Parts: sequence; C-alpha cells; structure tokens
Amino acid sequence: MKLKLVLSVSLLTLAAAALPRMANAEVAPLDLVQPIADYKIYVSENLETLVTDTKAFTDAVKAGDVDKAKSLFGSTRMSYEAIEPIAELFSDLDGSIDSRADDHEKAEKDPEFTGFHRIEYGLFTENSTKDLGPFADKLMADVTELNKRITDLTLPPEKVVGGAAALMEEVAATKISGEEDRYSHTDLWDFKANFDGSRKIFDLVRPLVEKEDSAFVTKVSGNFDTVDTTLAKYKTADGYELYDKLTEDDRAVLAAAVNTLAEDLSTLRGKLGLN
Amino acid sequence: MTTNDNKLVTTRRNVLFGVGAAGSALATGLTTARAAEKQGGQVTDAPVSDKTQERQSFYGLHQAGIVTPRPAAGMIASFHVLAETPADVERLFRTLSGRIAFLMQGGTPPELDDKLPPADSGLLGPVVPPDNLTITVSLGSSFFDDRDWLAPHKPARLSRMKASRNDALDADLCHGDLALQISSNTPDTNIHALRDVLKNLPDLMVLRWKQEGSVPVLPPKPDGAHESARNFLGFRDGSANPDANNAALMDKIVWVPENGTEPEWTRGGSYQAVRIIRNFVERWDRTPLGEQERIIGRKKATGAPHGGGNTEHDVPDYSQDPEGTVTPLDAHIRLANFRTKDSEANLILRRPFNYSNGVSKSGQLEQGLLFICYQADLEKGFITVQRQLDGEPLEEYIKPIGGGFFFTPPGPQDESDFVGRTLLEAAGHDVVRKS
Repeated sequence: MKLKLVLSVSLLTLAAAALPRMANAEVAPLDLVQPIADYKIYVSENLETLVTDTKAFTDAVKAGDVDKAKSLFGSTRMSYEAIEPIAELFSDLDGSIDSRADDHEKAEKDPEFTGFHRIEYGLFTENSTKDLGPFADKLMADVTELNKRITDLTLPPEKVVGGAAALMEEVAATKISGEEDRYSHTDLWDFKANFDGSRKIFDLVRPLVEKEDSAFVTKVSGNFDTVDTTLAKYKTADGYELYDKLTEDDRAVLAAAVNTLAEDLSTLRGKLGLN
Repeated sequence: MTTNDNKLVTTRRNVLFGVGAAGSALATGLTTARAAEKQGGQVTDAPVSDKTQERQSFYGLHQAGIVTPRPAAGMIASFHVLAETPADVERLFRTLSGRIAFLMQGGTPPELDDKLPPADSGLLGPVVPPDNLTITVSLGSSFFDDRDWLAPHKPARLSRMKASRNDALDADLCHGDLALQISSNTPDTNIHALRDVLKNLPDLMVLRWKQEGSVPVLPPKPDGAHESARNFLGFRDGSANPDANNAALMDKIVWVPENGTEPEWTRGGSYQAVRIIRNFVERWDRTPLGEQERIIGRKKATGAPHGGGNTEHDVPDYSQDPEGTVTPLDAHIRLANFRTKDSEANLILRRPFNYSNGVSKSGQLEQGLLFICYQADLEKGFITVQRQLDGEPLEEYIKPIGGGFFFTPPGPQDESDFVGRTLLEAAGHDVVRKS
C-alpha cells in the first residue's frame, strides 16, 4: 500500500523536476522510478536491521554488560552508515544519533553530546556502562523515530542519486582519518557500510548510465573493487580489524579510491539529468 | 661571484635583444621576464610594492579598521587579559594604544645597546613602514564579567557567542577577553605588529588563538569600478554590503548611537562578530554549478542575482518572487537579507578574509572564511542574521569552528587619548590625559 503511494508520488516529482533540465536525452525520467523504488526497499531493510540491532545494543548497555555492548557497537552502526545520506535528511536526529565530540564546544563533557559516539566513549574509554542508561534510551527512541519518519518519506530522486557521492564525501572528509570511531577504532566497519551504501545506489542506476558511458561505469566499478579488495585484507571472523591495523599504504589506496569515487560519482546526477 | 653573474646575464641579454631601449622594444610577450632581467633581479630579492607608505589614522571618533576599505591581509588575535585593577587596565589600554599609534604611523624603533635584545623584531627592516596597517581593539564579554568594577558598564548587547546548530566549536578557537583585528597590505606587516604587541605587553595579556586571512588582489578596472572580492567558494562576498562611505548609513548600521539603551561610554563604538567558518572545498568543487548558484542565490561568474541583472550590484526583487522560483527561499543571500523595510534593522557591515591553514587529519584542505562583521546592535545584527541562516542548504559545505563576540570601543581622539578611556572614566577611574 504504502510503497505504491510512494511510487506514484515519486513519479510526479520526477516528471516535474527532472524533465526540463535533462542533460542526457537517453535517460527518461520514468527510467528512474524503478531504481528509486528499489532503493526505498533497501533503506527500509536497513532501517529494520538498525532498529533490531540498536535494541540489542542498548539492552546490553542498560544491563551493564560492557563486553557484549562493546562487541555489538561496530555491527550495529553499519545499517545506519549504509543509508546515511537519507538518515541525514533529518538533521536533528542525525545530530543526536551520530554527532561526534568535536561537534560540541565542551567535547565529551557537553550535555548535547549524545548517541552512538557518547555511548562509545563510555564503553571504550571509561570501560563502563555507568550513567549510560539515559543515552541508551535516547538512542533507541531516536532510531525508532528515524524509522518512522523515513517510512513516511518520499525519497527525492536527486538525494538518492546524490547519496552515492555524499557517502564518499563523508568518508573523505571525516572518516578516512579514523576520527569517527575514535574510542572503539571500529572505523573499518563504517567504511564497509559507507562503500556498500554508495555502491548500492550506483548499481541501481548503472544500467541507465552504461548505455551512454560504459567507460565511466567500468572506472567506477574498478574503484569500488579496489576498496573491496583492500578492506577484505582486514576481515576477521566477526567483522573487521581495528583502525590502527590499517597500514599507511592501504590508507593511501583507500583515500585515493575515495577521492576518485567522489569526483566521478559527483557527475552521476548530471548524467541522469537530475538537478 | 655576483658581479660575474651579472656580467654574464648582461652579455647574454645584449646578444639576444640588443642594448637598452632598442632591446626593450622587442618581443612584448616577454616583458615580464625581461623586466626582471633588466633590473638584474635575483631570485631572493624582496618583491617590490609601491604601497608600503599607505597610512591610516589611528585617531577619530571611531577606531580605524571598521569602515576602512579592507586591504589584502587580515588577522584576528584573541587574548586572555591579566590586568585586573583599574590601574593595570589603564596601563594595558595606554601601552596598547601607544604601540598601535607607532605601528600605524611607522618610523624608526629606538636603537638599544647591542648587549640587549633589540626593541623591534626587525622583520620589516630598521624603519617600520605603515603599509596601510590598522589595529582594531575589541573587548569580549568575559573582560567585563570577570571584573566586578567593570561588570556594571558592560555594553548592553554583549554576550558570549553561543553555538548555532551547524557549529562545531573548538574551545581553543573561541572567545577571549580582548581581540585585535590587524589588517594591512601584507601578512608580514600584520605579523610584525602582533609580535610588537606581544613583546610590549607580556605581563598584561596572553595570546589564546589567532587566525590569519587574505583576499585575492585584482588589477584596477579601467573605468574605476569596484568589485567585491571572492571567497574560497569562488563567489563574490560582500556584494550587498552597505556603503561604508555613507556616514549617515554607518551611523545607523555600524556605530552605537547617542541617547540609546547603551552605556554612554560606548557611543561611537561598534559590536564585532568573528567566526572561523571552515569550507569543505573539495566537496564544493564537486557540486554542480547550478546547485552552487541555487545555494548561494547568485551567478558565480558575475555575482548577479538570479532572474536578470548583469552585475553583483543588481538587486533581486523578492516581492516578485514569493515562491522562490527565481531565487530559492533558502538561498544564502535571501535568508541573510530579506530586503524588506523591516529587515533593514538587521543590516551588518562585513569585513571578512579567506583563510588557509594546512591539511586536516583526513587529508583535506583546512580552509574557509575568517568572517568579521560590525554592527550597532549585535542582537539585531549578526545574531538575528545567523538565526535566519540556521538550516540553510549551504550548511552541508561549511562548518563554523571558532570565533567570538566583542565590543569595539570608540576611537582615541588625539595623541593624548587612548582606546578604552571612556570605559575607565565611566567606571569612576580618574584618567589623566597626557601627551
């Protein structure tokens, strides 16, 4: 029911917004309807996982089980990181769920500092769940609210397609340095999720671009492959090595791939005739 | 060696181009290269400027550096002040004013016994050129709050800067008891001035943070027209700035008026808002031009508003565009200035510089805007404008990380006067004017 409604609204938005400024005559606005609908399903699935995982994670925090909470931290974040461009459409929630200490003037001590990284700080730096209960409750409530808001949201096509590049910009600007998960050093989990989320968008619209510019598709796929191969070296039984295991050389390889992907994917909207 | 080298150069030039005037008439495309050769220029020769004797006056109803046209190089330096008693604060103000007066005038520092450290850093040579220098002194909220005898005299609208929703403030780049805005034709002149101040006031103030900046220099236009400088986003910044040559307008927008709700000692002063705003330039450079122009609300090449007009000085008519079809309702210039009769109360005078600091931990450029603005009413000015801008699409590309709010006292009347005198007198401290 809901999906159908979303679809029809998307169609209208697309027809109105994209048609007059088509940069590429071969891509008709209607061609984007299916990829956007498929992406909406991808987002819904990730949100469902996020709610379930966050429940288990915050339950562990509230039960005072430091080890269990620590072990769930990296994996719980992945479904959020994969759909970050959409999650970020609600900046109030993005701030309370995923802001970092340096977003706040009083850093770790700032009362506005909440969410994943506040709990991460307690678990990994203070090695305790003491006083984390209210943060756990707030995170669970925020994630639930996010799920609700996105379920009701019509995804703007330019935000979806632009999201492929936006994810790379996130990695390039604030993650490649290992600053994101600075207490737990689980950054490689985030990387994996960011890349997967970006590649998902690219793969969905890929057939539309392939006809026109197969060299572009080959280049972008090649860079995603480079990232996968590099990250695969750090795979462990239940996730990824800590960030400090990442060698300087591999970090450079990832940085170059991220920058190139950001450059190339920034043209994706234009190639699809989106503003 | 040098002499021989010069001879070699001369000989080669003579062979290539003939001697003297005949030579210089040749090959106009090579003028620059040949000019250097002709003067016998060496790689490490100091670059030449004909502007080192430009001079601004320190004295007047208002401090210099506010309506003074912005030169190419600027700096904000913020200090913790240790002077607590009226006597020490007076010594601080007097010494600071004395140094500023000398540096803005230029001249020869005293020669000392060479067994002593020199009086001047010497980085501008034995004779200090004025080089269009201004140093503008401003006081932070904490300067008043931390001194019982000054607290009752705090400017009515002076507050400690609070974080806006997109801010990620770094405590080490925020606030301060006293701020100096130093601007001149070259970064070196600003650094020289800062080092002079530090050397002369070691016991009364301690440097907390500083940010240097610059603006791109343009060749003069044949018709004498002025253009706004560009920021690091590549857009003109300052197009809608109020006319600083219009004294009546400045009285309205910039200077604290007579008979207002402010303490009498503040008359002729102004509120200064400083923001260090990082720009994510890599990401910006990967943003479609059309989106950049929608986010800002102007054409990038010309600075003209959307929907007609060829220059940055053309004024958009929002009354004809209530839906935002021409200029999006959330475009930066539209949120910053509604251009209504009411919004005239929120006008500010901007005087920003671009800054570039190095490389972030993520390997991206640490650069952005050293935003500085002046207004008669901080709340109606910057604070209101920033509130209007909260949530703007530009936030995805910018991150304010530092700055502070300050009050810039009125200027010193003459050589017997100093910045801050009116405040000391208002606080009941007996000040003797001496020349």
